[in-house]
This record gives sequence, C-alpha cells and structure tokens, in this order.
Amino acid sequence: MSVEIGGLKLKNPVMTASGTFGYGEEYADYVDLNQLGAIVVKGLSLKPRLGNPPPRIMETAGGMLNAVGLQNVGVDVFIKEKLPFLRQYDVAVIANIYGESTLEYSQVAKKLSQAEGVHALEVNVSCPNVKKGGLSFGSDPKAAAEVTRRVKAETHLPVIVKLTPNVTDIAAIAQSVEEAGADAVSLINTLTGMAIDLKTRTPHLKNITGGLSGPAIKPVALRMVWQVAQRVAIPVIGIGGIMTVEDALEFMIAGAKAVQIGTANFINPHATIEIIDGIRHYLQNNKIKNINDIVGTLRT
Amino acid sequence: MAKDIYIGEVAANEEIQIDYFLMKVTLPSDFTEPLPGQFVMIRIAGLHDPFLSRPISIYSYTRGKSNCAIELLYRVVGKGTQILAGLIKGSQVEISGPLGGSYSIDHQKKNIVFIAGGIGIAPLSLLAEALCRKASYSAAAMTFYLGAQTADAVVGLNRLRKLCYNLTVCTDDGSLGQKALVTKAFQKDIKKYSPSDTVIYACGPKAMVQSLSKILDGKYLCQVSLEERMACGVGACVGCVVAVKDGQGKPAYKRVCADGPVFDLQQIIWE
Repeated sequence: MSVEIGGLKLKNPVMTASGTFGYGEEYADYVDLNQLGAIVVKGLSLKPRLGNPPPRIMETAGGMLNAVGLQNVGVDVFIKEKLPFLRQYDVAVIANIYGESTLEYSQVAKKLSQAEGVHALEVNVSCPNVKKGGLSFGSDPKAAAEVTRRVKAETHLPVIVKLTPNVTDIAAIAQSVEEAGADAVSLINTLTGMAIDLKTRTPHLKNITGGLSGPAIKPVALRMVWQVAQRVAIPVIGIGGIMTVEDALEFMIAGAKAVQIGTANFINPHATIEIIDGIRHYLQNNKIKNINDIVGTLRT
Repeated sequence: MAKDIYIGEVAANEEIQIDYFLMKVTLPSDFTEPLPGQFVMIRIAGLHDPFLSRPISIYSYTRGKSNCAIELLYRVVGKGTQILAGLIKGSQVEISGPLGGSYSIDHQKKNIVFIAGGIGIAPLSLLAEALCRKASYSAAAMTFYLGAQTADAVVGLNRLRKLCYNLTVCTDDGSLGQKALVTKAFQKDIKKYSPSDTVIYACGPKAMVQSLSKILDGKYLCQVSLEERMACGVGACVGCVVAVKDGQGKPAYKRVCADGPVFDLQQIIWE
C-alpha cells in the first residue's frame, strides 16, 4: 500500500486535502490519524489571516462553493500550537503554504523546514478566493516556476505544487514547475464558480465568487490528472470530488500516485479510512501486490 | 476515537404547525447526552442530494433502557429541510453529534431570562429543563419571552409552560399574545432585572439578536446561540464564521460550529 512522493514514503496513498481537515485535531475524534497516508493541513501564511467575511459557503448540485479566503493562524502559531498535537501521531504531515509574494512563500517555507514534524510542503499557487498571490501565481507558468524555485531554495523537504484548474492548459503549468524543481504536483484546487439568491438578487457568497468542490468537479479533475500525468515525470497527486474508493482508484488509473480526500470529509468524517480500507480490499480481490502497479494503467 | 456517526431511526416526524416539524430520532445508547445549545449534523442515510448535512439544534433528550432519543424542532426553509420533512417513521438518518459548545449554567444569578424568536425556542427549552434539573432553579425564577411573526409560527408553547411559569408571548401581528417584537416586550420589563443579578439566554433570527444587543448595551451577561450555514460541523471547513472581538478586542472570525454556537452577545461585531 505504500507510495513514495518525492522521497517521502507514505504508508498508503490517501491524504487529506488542505482546508478540509483543519490542523488534524478537528477530526481526531472521528479518524485514527495514524492510519492516514498523510495529513495536509490548512494553508499557512506568514502572518495570521482573518479570511473573508461570511457567508463563506453555499451548497450546490453535487458539491459546494467556498470563499474562506485562507483564514489561518499563521505559520508561527501553527508551529507552536498545532504541530505538537500532530507530532503525537505516526503520520506524515504536509504543510500547505501560501504567500502574497514570492518572498512570503519562501519565508513560510523556511520556518516550516526548521520545524520538527513537517515532512513535506505543498505550495498553494491556486487559491481562487484571495486578492493577492494564490491564483495569480498558479495561472502563469513563469510565476509558478519562480515560486517553486524560491521555495526549493529554502527547504530540504519535498515540495509539492498544488495547481489550479482555472487555466487553459494545466499541463503547461505542471511542466513549468517540474522544470523549476518541484518534487510532485497535486491537482486540482477548486474551480471558480458562483450562486445567486433569487429572492434578493444577491450572490450567496459575500465574496461573490468562490471555489467549487465536491463530486460535481470529479470528471474535470480526472481529465486534468490524466493530461498532466502524461506530460510530467514527477508524481501526480489527484484531488477533486473523491467520495469513494472507486473514485480514488479512477484517479490512480488515470496517473495519480496518491490522492487527497477533501469535501468528502465534511459529509462523511470516515471517508478517508473507508477509502484506505477499500483500496486494500481492491488490491486483495484483484491479486495486485503493489499499489503502484495500477498507477497510470489507463487503457485507451 | 470517541465519536461515531450514528444511524438513527425516525420515531416520529410531525408537522406541528404549518412548515414547523418535530422529529424524534431514536439513537444507540452510546450517543452522548447533549448539553443545552449543542446541535447535531443530520442527513438522510445513503442520500447525496442535498449534498451537505444540516445542522439542527437539539430540542430534547431522553434515555431509554436500550437506546436514547433526541427531538429536533425545525422549520422548512429550503431543500434540505423539505426532504427531512418528508421522512416517515422508520426512516434512517445519519447523525453526528452532539456538536459544539453549550450555554453556560454555572453562575449564581437570581434572574434567568430567556428570549427566543420562532424556532429559537428549541435550544432554550432544553436549557430551561437543564436549569430546573441540574442547577435547581425553580420555574418561578425563570422568565421566558417568546416571539414569532404570527400565531402559526409559535411552536413549543405547551411544553414550555410546564418548565417556565413566567411566560410572555408576542407576535408581530398580534394573532397571539402581545402585538410587539419580543425584544420590545422584554425592554418594557427591563427595569425588573438588575444587570448584576440577571443572566439572559437568547436564540433567534439575526435581527432579533442585533436588536437585543442594542437594548442590553453591553450591561448584561447575555449568551446567544447563533445559526449559520455549515459544511462540516466540526470546525474544519471554517465556513460558518461570525465576526467577534477576540481576547484583545481585535476583530476575528470565529466558527459557529466549533467555537460556538453559543457566544457572549457582547463579543459579536455587527456590520
């Protein structure tokens, strides 16, 4: 069941997606964190961020919109107050990082690299809900590569770059960050969307637009993972509307070496564990010894 | 790993007033006894439309020999509650909870005042019951102000009468009780309650809570339970926030699900 992402060995290919699992403690009553492949924590910035004003979420057909705006405690409080909790567990911790500038990305990366108990960094160049940084880095191959280089220069940890689907050619961005030294890419972040209240003719979200997640985006995510996996040699981590073991396996067959479970956690806190168990059963039933043997085995 | 997701069975689901439903759900006996103000996330087992679970405040809790039961009082406002309203006896629901924090009852105040708007009566009924039982407040020491738009929207009155003798009912149109806003009815009596001897518990629509905030002007200890759209219910998604003053008086967004749903009224920042 174990997989390797940029030198980081995971006991299984199932991680939590950033922003859907808090700092781990929120779900510790529901999930034995030791069983997870990795925990990707909520995006961290240099200073604490207030986030966007509410309403921040809206249910949609087969999913939800969110415009949280990267509310977080900041990297220092994370290291001091949240990381010790996670160190109690035998689980890989991946810190998702965000910056308004390349300098901020590199500063956050440096601090986390010096902290005990962080095993990899996931660089968020794809948040659609913040004014500065985020998506603006992720939608330009050159800017995405620059952020990647700056982060790589500050850390010995594996660097995963999380990509946005809100671009014309996601594989071009993936190639660009690979050339810049990224150890893996994860995709997709949310798709930008909106919803309107008919009674008031106002947007349901205060931010007007938000990021769409949930099973509604799975086919789009799967297509992008497939496209990217053909164009890069580094590991691809599949994200986007994975609710069941079947969904996870589809991503792996399309070329994902690992997967992240996001919005599914909200409606079924046991989703990660059920998917891990499900993969184990699938491998047993199909007499597959090594999970890596199914990665990228799509027949076309 | 303490918490499970429970499969509950709908024991009753009645429309007690137009659009207002009372659902009784039987749960395994290891479902933790809820504290007043806590809520559950509920969804129909196996159904993915509506996508998200719905947060509903716990109205009552009873323990049987081999199981326990909670009651949920809810109003049909959208797709999620519409589908809940259609559930028949014997249907299965997935419940996680009890979630969130509770009203605090460990204080020694002489007067207990409840102010509820509409469906806001649900957590306050559970609280009144807990106060009678645990903090041994007599029904006479508690005063309840209950407001709604019309008589049709007044729910839970009969049960409340047994818990609380001093009960003022008001409606916007005067179809039941006084013709007044519940906050105005309370304001008329405010001199009866000195700030040092009184605790106020509130739950209701935003407009009611905001108006109460103006009336109390920071002089009274007042705890209020808030409602927001939620996705996870456990503090992970940070979707259900409310603007509050933090410890240093600076603005911060707190999660209604995990940091609330009960807040000190004075902490809340109004736009």
